[in-house]
Amino acid sequence: MKANRALIHALAIGLAVLVLAPFLWLLRMSFETNAEIFAYPPHLWFTPTLDNYAALWQGDFRGSFVNSAVVTISSTLVSMLIGVPAAYALARMRSRSNTLSLWIIASRLAPPPAFAIPYFLAYRDLHLLDTRFGLVVIYLTFNISLVIWLMRSFFENTPRALEEAALIDGASFWRAMISIVLPTAAPGLAATAILCFVFSWNDFFFALILTRSNAMTAPVAVVNFMNYAGWEWGRIAAGGTLVMLPVLLFSLGVRRFLVNGLTAGAVKG
Amino acid sequence: MSLGALHSLRSAPFRRASQARQRRRFLAWCLAPALAVLFVVTLAPMVYLVVTSLTPLNLTNPATAWNFQHPWLNYRLLLSDERFLNSLWVQAKLSFWTVALQMLIGVAFALLLNLRSGLLQALRTVYLVPMVLPPIVVAIIWKVLYTPDISPFYWAFKALGWNVPTLITDPHWALWAIIVADTWEWFPLTMLMVLAALQTVPEELIDAARVDGANPWQVTIHVLLPYIRGTLMVAGLFRLIDSIKAFPLIYLLTDGGPGSVTEVTNYYAFEQAFNFSYLGFSSAITVVMVAASLVMSWVLVRMSGWGAE
Repeated sequence: MKANRALIHALAIGLAVLVLAPFLWLLRMSFETNAEIFAYPPHLWFTPTLDNYAALWQGDFRGSFVNSAVVTISSTLVSMLIGVPAAYALARMRSRSNTLSLWIIASRLAPPPAFAIPYFLAYRDLHLLDTRFGLVVIYLTFNISLVIWLMRSFFENTPRALEEAALIDGASFWRAMISIVLPTAAPGLAATAILCFVFSWNDFFFALILTRSNAMTAPVAVVNFMNYAGWEWGRIAAGGTLVMLPVLLFSLGVRRFLVNGLTAGAVKG
Repeated sequence: MSLGALHSLRSAPFRRASQARQRRRFLAWCLAPALAVLFVVTLAPMVYLVVTSLTPLNLTNPATAWNFQHPWLNYRLLLSDERFLNSLWVQAKLSFWTVALQMLIGVAFALLLNLRSGLLQALRTVYLVPMVLPPIVVAIIWKVLYTPDISPFYWAFKALGWNVPTLITDPHWALWAIIVADTWEWFPLTMLMVLAALQTVPEELIDAARVDGANPWQVTIHVLLPYIRGTLMVAGLFRLIDSIKAFPLIYLLTDGGPGSVTEVTNYYAFEQAFNFSYLGFSSAITVVMVAASLVMSWVLVRMSGWGAE
């Protein structure tokens, strides 16, 4: 049994290295010069350089990062503001409707062109193509559903006794919600907001279709860069690394809630 | 609860009735904005999509907008469109293999990691990385790995003296290149779902099987997997619905090619709408996809007990 355990540990470490290798390779490339990247046979050791990052940051890339941050944070805030009270109401109401569940889950799982086509047509008429505002709105399609879904299960698991005591002591419903319900649900609120952030930040499809230059987000900017400087692998890798950095840190921070978020609550993680 | 509060509860039953009414009104106010916004941002566009699918809308020709002379034309064209039918077949292959491999690897890894051990606990986080990366970064990573000049894979093949074709431009291998990358990206999700389910299996069940002389394999096949079959179904179905959305990998690695061997339905809809401007026709393709994913979502809602309890 002891030997078995050691074997399992060794196997698990080996597989972890294998799983992580593609990701580490990109990370390594981002610190290499182009000559180093194309060198065959490859060198095990090399002198890392920050040139790729520096060059990228001096170009247009910075603007796309600002766009990504503004759009992502705005959409997250709006979704939380609208979605949290709704989640609370659904958690406290007795009846549950199958239709509402299906609507919410379907808007999370719908194939992207289902929203991209009508939004594209509407934005053309409303002059909202290539604006940050347009992106914020289309991200609501999946973020509000996500907030309602996650927060509903959080609220269902918080005890009602506290808020009922506050009500009996004469607090209004709003007061009870703001000073009792929300503070109790703070960890859930934080995790939900982070997941909204991650999903909006990761979006590629909608940003590809609805933006051109002004509102272009970081994921689209990296791909654009690939299209006109496809041989600059070092910079491409650096761009990819910058795009994934915030998401990686955030989502590992909320890994306990990740499964719940990714499956829109299909399974409690 | 304070004594005074208890007192007021008993002595004023009608106050409770009015409070119940206020409470209902309060909850309605909480819910209304979300429903209104959801209606505008999701339901209205969906209706617009269906309406568009009944027109021959083509942005290069303004006369095609709001033209309902042949409402079913797009759908009739679909039935005889070779590229569309091919895209369904490609989609079926991609979905089948990615879901099968993700389930297989996810279950295998979950069984491996299902031991009480600090090291394995820490390793779980490492295994998560592929699925938390932005999908476009996953696509960049695999683009690098599939580019012969800079890929450690190809260097290894070269060192071994094997002559491996460029997978993403080879008609026989392009779809497999996508399948491998997609499996790498999403097996952690099935793994996590299965791990969470495995932890709900009662110890006594496993002990009883052991006492009866079952070896670890038999315990796995006859006790563990049957116990978590609900989770296995939900995980598989969830990945299946999600596999219809495959986009960044195909966009960056193969662009639907070579020819149309990796052109899944979603990608075909994208090309028709945004490369060729046939928005009406593309809407019809999308309506078909939405219908398929609605049916599967409905099954998912029923299976995971989301609706009425």
